[in-house]
Formats: sequence, structure tokens, C-alpha cells
Amino acid sequence: MNTEQEQTVETARSPFSEAFEMFRQNHLAVAGLILLVLIILAGLFGPYLYVADPFDMVWAPFSPPGEEGYLLGTDYLGRDLLAMLIHGARVSILIGLSAAFLTVFIGITVGALAGFYRGITEEILMRITEFFQVLPTLLFSMVIVALFGASLPMITLAIGLVSWPSVARITRAEFLRIRELEYVTAARACGVSNAKLIFKVILPNALPPIIVQAALMVGSAILFEAGLSFLGLTDPNVVSWGQIIGSNREYILDASFTVTVPGLAIFITVLAISLVGDGLNDALNPKLRQR
Amino acid sequence: MTPLLQVDNLRIELTTRDGVAPVIDDLSLQLNAGETLSFVGESGCGKSMTALALMGLLPEGVGRVASGKILFDGEDLTQASDARLREIRGNEISMIFQEPMTSLNPVYTIGEQIAEVLRRHQNLSKKAAWNKAIELLDAVRIPNPSARVSDYPHQMSGGQRQLVMIAIALACEPKILIADEPTTALDVTVQAQIFDLLRDLGREFGTAIILITHDMGAVADMAERMIVMYAGRKAEAGPVEQVIEHPRHPYTKGLISCVPHLIATLTEERPELTEVAGIVPSLRDFGRDQCLFASRCDRADQQCKSSRPPEIEFDDGQSSACWHAEQL
Amino acid sequence: MTDKKPRPLLKVENLTVRFPVKRGGLFSKKAYLYAVDDISFEVARGETLAIVGESGSGKSTAALAIARLVEAHSGSVMLGDDDFLSLKDEALRQARAQVQFIFQDPYASLNPRLRAEAVVREPLDSLGTGNPNDRQATIDELFKAVGLRPEQQRLFPHQFSGGQRQRIGVARALATRPELIICDEPVSALDVAVQAQILNLLRKLQKDFDLTYLFISHDLGVVQHMCDSVAVMYMGKIVEHADRLSLFNNPLHPYTKALLSAVPSVDKKRRLETKRILIPGDPPDPLSPPKGCRFANRCPAAQEQCTQSQPLLRHMKTGHSVACHRVSDDGVAPL
Repeated sequence: MNTEQEQTVETARSPFSEAFEMFRQNHLAVAGLILLVLIILAGLFGPYLYVADPFDMVWAPFSPPGEEGYLLGTDYLGRDLLAMLIHGARVSILIGLSAAFLTVFIGITVGALAGFYRGITEEILMRITEFFQVLPTLLFSMVIVALFGASLPMITLAIGLVSWPSVARITRAEFLRIRELEYVTAARACGVSNAKLIFKVILPNALPPIIVQAALMVGSAILFEAGLSFLGLTDPNVVSWGQIIGSNREYILDASFTVTVPGLAIFITVLAISLVGDGLNDALNPKLRQR
Repeated sequence: MTPLLQVDNLRIELTTRDGVAPVIDDLSLQLNAGETLSFVGESGCGKSMTALALMGLLPEGVGRVASGKILFDGEDLTQASDARLREIRGNEISMIFQEPMTSLNPVYTIGEQIAEVLRRHQNLSKKAAWNKAIELLDAVRIPNPSARVSDYPHQMSGGQRQLVMIAIALACEPKILIADEPTTALDVTVQAQIFDLLRDLGREFGTAIILITHDMGAVADMAERMIVMYAGRKAEAGPVEQVIEHPRHPYTKGLISCVPHLIATLTEERPELTEVAGIVPSLRDFGRDQCLFASRCDRADQQCKSSRPPEIEFDDGQSSACWHAEQL
Repeated sequence: MTDKKPRPLLKVENLTVRFPVKRGGLFSKKAYLYAVDDISFEVARGETLAIVGESGSGKSTAALAIARLVEAHSGSVMLGDDDFLSLKDEALRQARAQVQFIFQDPYASLNPRLRAEAVVREPLDSLGTGNPNDRQATIDELFKAVGLRPEQQRLFPHQFSGGQRQRIGVARALATRPELIICDEPVSALDVAVQAQILNLLRKLQKDFDLTYLFISHDLGVVQHMCDSVAVMYMGKIVEHADRLSLFNNPLHPYTKALLSAVPSVDKKRRLETKRILIPGDPPDPLSPPKGCRFANRCPAAQEQCTQSQPLLRHMKTGHSVACHRVSDDGVAPL
């Protein structure tokens, strides 16, 4: 058999390593990733490098950035904005990641079961999904927080509960498509069990759009948390970016930097996540990967 | 008599990541009115690209005519303006595609889609265009045309949709009809109907047909002359019966004998099929100064690998680009 | 071919596959589409039976149902002494190892996330055949048998050409050393020049591994080359069933004749001898098939009785089985 000699030199490259290569060539996405890593590092190690209590009233209220060594100035209670920002990063990112994780977990479970088993299972699960989708999201999470208190886990739960339907729908659509492909039928012909079909055969192939959605989910969870904090519905004893904006909102005209600075932080973080999500989308989309 | 279509030394370049590749390399051909010419070859050999070039529909920004001429009725289409090309397209040269499922717009009735073409190119009134649409459906042998004209595409079978595509293509009585694998997605009995129809229409209206296919049987059935394409180049050309009877290029020979055919009387005997090893070279190898088929050919020698074979003409209208054409 | 067939390897009896179809409103009666409607046939060990037909004939559904990849409504699929359709658990697993499948589209039938070796290993692992330690040796052997190089085992499907992918698909089907391989249009997605490679390979493997094929195809040229006998399907029914030479040289059913006459050929003699039989129009609505012959509305030889009663498959002296009122008892075709 003398079929194409040049293939002997070709190395085995997994679809994921090709996607990584594709991602690396996308400069915007790489910039977003670097930015995101920096923000996460700041959140993780910032409190040790810049030792300051965010609740300490250190100086006169509304002192502009740079004054008296406070790089970003102080808020309406005279607290160090930089310290608040760094501590807030932790909370915002933590909520973003855990809410996105929760969203993806519920979404994949529901979507996979509905898409794989079809029939009555699908009917029931998709009706439930639709129920959560038509809930007025903000109102629902306000009710949860009002009922069960404004602790971090509750906020995460509230965000997760209102945002999983989109992941479920994507997962279901992918499962519906992939389960009809011949390699799934081929696996069934080999006697592969249902559990293995769902998790080992279909799910890995369904992941790309879900990963992209999950990345964007982190961004929207951060925004959602900011929204809740802005309305004062979160724990006042925990600093988050939204909460800084919320507590300073009355002074937006007199000391705009107190709102602008955390606003910019949210904007940059969400932008970085979007860039990464976009890059992932391009890299994981097989149609774009051709030549 | 000057031919209806004359292509001279056409070279089409495609810009890819690896550089510029000649997807059509030095192609010349002639097509007379009412004649059926067939392009044969595997996918990736430039058959469809030739058709797109004739229609002025090369992928924008990627493909371009690098040199050569396409003379249609004496007019060089490679120099024609976009407006002029639009005028010619669908009016004097029209095309049908492989996928009848996706070539029709699902939100309009087929009558509306046929009438739209007529009104654009022939300035017919709404009423006249509609009546002509019914006539055309009748001409392509769709039963009960006056009722079917207000059907939507999804209400028709694949074969009927392809018939509608032919009706649209014929709406303006084009001089050339390009059929790009028109029956590949269809059943054989439907294919037979479409071939019959194309043959009769060609005879009736004097339309020249360019049939692009990979099926030698279809070529034998439909065409008078054929061009075998390989890696963007003309491998062999000539009258169909003659080429099939006595191919003078190893690739043509391979294409004919690698497929099991139905023959007049089958016997117990079933010889091994001839294998053409390997696959079509990738685009970046196009344009090399060698016989591009050499890597798959058992006759290949040093000469084949070091210089491109010229086209050798035989006195009966057959020509072959192979260093060993005379011995074959 | 042996003169006297012993017991058939595969015996399909009265197989019916139907799909529920939603029609009309919420409370309308459930309608069923009978994709395969009461078909029976046998395949002798070591032989190839081809099932041919056009789109919508039910040939692929029949193949999937026989492999239990689509649920059959009724009927039996006897593999030796066991009814494959009623097996469960361990018995089913063992039987699955005996019945393997080659798929149509080599671009869709290999999991893009698995290396070639893992694709071939899958049936060995899930069906648990052979000693786990010997599996790598089995895989090496299979790659060699289908004409792939050992170093290609580490590659992923997208790094192969269509023909090579189909070779991987063939190796996977061979992995558990099955007796029966169902080939569902195994070459129709491939380029013409590559088809020959796969067809030759399948014929070679049939000899080397003593395989029995159920070969599904719409391409009569390919079928002619591959089969020992042929069953022609039309709208879920077998209309004609005969050995290779009888069917191709002396077709009896008008549909078979029309089908054969529609195939263009490079053979000049055949082109001159064959009169094309046109069958205009479309098959009737499969949801409400006519009470008579399903081909009657397109059949050039149809008569009154054809629209009245359904013809049964009759066995002729010539070795044909034909379902047509117009074929006489001594096997004379109406056309």
C-alpha cells in the first residue's frame, strides 16, 4: 500500500492540541487571557502584596486618586478604594466561576439526559427548563436572596438557578445532533453502555459550544452579581465590585471616580472573558479550523 | 464556424494559506452550439472550478483568472464587467447544482422563483411570467404543472426539485447549460429521467450542455465529447466513445476500470477491480513541472517526474497529456 | 459457491420496522410509517446477499434493525439457533460480537476524539472478546489486514483520507472476529478511484476471514461485483430476490427491470441492447400505502388486479422469488 508518503511524517495531533494552536494565533484572545490571568492573580495574591483592610476608614472621604499615597483614592466613608478593589476581585471572580460551574453542571445534566433519552424524559426536562427560562431572572434571585439571606453561596445559587437553561438547551441540541451521527451508532453496535455513550462518546464531542457558553457565563455571572450588589441585595460585609458601585452611587456626580474605578474593573474583566470566549469559539469551531 | 464557447490557455489561481496554486492550469477547449461536453475526474481536480470560472463566479478575493481567455460568442468573459456578467448569467449561460435540496429558497413557491428569473431577465409582466412558469414546469415534465406551480419546495421530492432547478435554468433559453453533478444526490431512476430530459431539451432548443460528473457511465450515456481533468490540468480529451474504447491516459483508464459496471451479459467471472492507489495531490503540489499523476501511475518513469507532459494530439480528435500516450 | 447450502448463517423472518409519525393535532390518532414491512430472507455462510433499492425503500432501516441498532416491531433474526432480536445482557453481548457493521460515511462514523487504535479497540473492550493483554497484538494484526501502517495507529481520524478512514471502519468491524458483517453503502461516500480499493479489500477479507456479508447499496454496478444473490426492495417490501446472474441477466419484476435499465453504462453493447423503462412519478405516500401492489401507480405493466390485491413473493422454477401478479408461474416477465 503506497498511499501518501507524506503522512509518515505527520504526527498525531489531537483535536484539542489543534484548537490550542488556533487559539494561540488569535492575538485578541491571547491578550484577553493574559488580562484575565493578571486579574485572577491580583485577586489571589493582591491582599498579601498590598496589605490593607478594605473596611478601614483610612483617610478623608472622596479624596481623589493619588492623594496621600492612596492610588485610587477613597470612597464615601474614606476607605481605600484600591484595597476594596483587590478584595472585591476575589469575590467577583469566585462568584463568577462558581456560578458558571453550577450553571454548566445543571445545564449539562439536564440537556444530556433530555437529548439522549428523548421521549417523555425530554418532554418533562424541557418543560422544566422552559419554566426556569421564563422566570424573571432578577426578581427570582431577589426573592431567593430575600428569603434565604445574602450569603455568597446563596447568591451563587441564585445566579446558577436562573442561568442554566441556556446551557441545557445548547447541550440538548448538541446531543440531538451527535446521537444521530454514525460513530455513535457504531459505538452502540459495539455494545457500549448508555452511561459510557453519554459521558465518553457524546459529551466530549458536544463540549466545544458548551465551553464557550461557560466562559461567557462567567462574565454574565459577574455582571449579575454586580447588579444584585448595586441594588444592595448582597452581604454588606463582603466587598465586591458591584457593591462598591452600589454604595457610592449617590455620589456619582461629586466623586465619579468612586463608581468609575470598580465599573472599569468589571468592564475589563468581562471584556477579557468575552475575548477568551470568542477565541475559544473560533478555535473549537471545526469549520473555521479547515485551512 | 466559430465555436459558441472557446477557452484558450485558461489559468485560474487560488490563494491559499500555503501560497498561490493554479487550480486550473492551461486549459483550452471548444464547445459548439447544441453539443454536450463532459468534464470527468475525482473531486478536487478542478471540474467545478472551471464551471464557476465560465459563470464568472470564482470565489471573490480567493480565486482569479491569471491568464487566458474565455470567449463566449466572440466576447472575452474574463474582461467583462460585473454588470455584463450578471446579464449573461442565468440568461445566456445558466447552471444547475448538485444539491437540489438547498438550491431553492424554502419561503417562496416554485412558481414565484421561476417567475422572478423571467421578470428580471426578460421584463415579463407578472401574469405572463407566471404563465411561462407553468409552461416551463410542463417542459421539464412535472405532472399537473398548473397545480404544482404554487407548491413550496418542501412539498416536492428531490428529483422534482432538480427538475424545477432545470426549469429555472432554462427559463431564458440559455445557449449553454452547465450541470454540476446534477444527479449525484438522486436515485438512478430519477437520474435517468433527468438525463432524458436534458438530452431532449438540448436537441429541441439547441442548448449546449456542459456536464460535470465523476460517473463514466453517465458520460457515455450523455455526452459527445469529454475532457478528463486531473489536478487542474487536462489529462485527456476526445470523443466519448473513442476515449472509453481506447483511453490514452493511464488516469482515464483507471477511472473507467476502477468502477464495476453493468455489462450486457454478466458471467460468473469477476476480475479484481483496478486500483488507482493514493489520492489527488493537495493544492500546494499543483503547478509543478512534472506529470501530477506520476505518483499514482505504474507507468511513471524519470521523465514523468521531471517534466510536465505536453498535450499530444491524435488524428481522430483525441488528445492526451501523457509521456506514454502513444504506447497506450 | 457450494452446491447444497447447509444451514443459513442468517435467517430473517417477517421482519417489520415501523416508526410513529406525528400527524395533525394533539389528539389525532398515532400513525405509523412501515419502513420495513414483513420481509424474509436467508444468507448462507460465506456468501454475500445484497439488498438494493432507492431512497425510501427501507434497505438501510432493515440493515439497522437486523443489527439491533433500530428497534424492530416484529419478526425474528435467527443467527444459528438464537433469535438475535430477543437476546439480553450477556447473550446479547456475545451475539453482538458476531454481527458487526460498516457504515456509509467514513467522515461521520469515526469518533473524532479517538485515535485510530482506540477506534479499533472499542469493540474489543466493550464486548470483552479476547484476552486484554493480546488486544494490542490483535489491533496490529487488523491494521495490517486492512492495509494501514502500524505508525498510523496513533493518528486521529481527521488526519486520514476518506479511503483510509473507511479502512479503519473495516478494521473496527473485524475486531471481534464476527461471522456476519453488515455493510451499509460502504463506498458510496468515497471518490470513484478509492471505491475500488475498499471493494477489493472487502472481497479479500471475505476470503481470508470467512465472512458473510449483508451488503446494502443503491449502486447496481457495485452490487453486481460484490454479491452472490440480490434482494430488491421497494417501499419496505422485497419485490424480487434471486441469485446474481439470474437477477442481472434475467430480471422479472418490472421495477427491477426499470432500475437496471436506468443505470448508465460504459458498455456500448449494453447501451444498445437495453431499452430504457421509464417509471415517471413518485412512490405513493408511505403513511397510507395502497391496498394493491405498491409499485402499481408507476408500473408500465400494471393491470386492474395490481391495484386490487397485494402480490406475494412467489418462488419461481428459475430460482427467482418475485412479488408481481404479472409474472407468470413459469417465470415470464411482463415487460
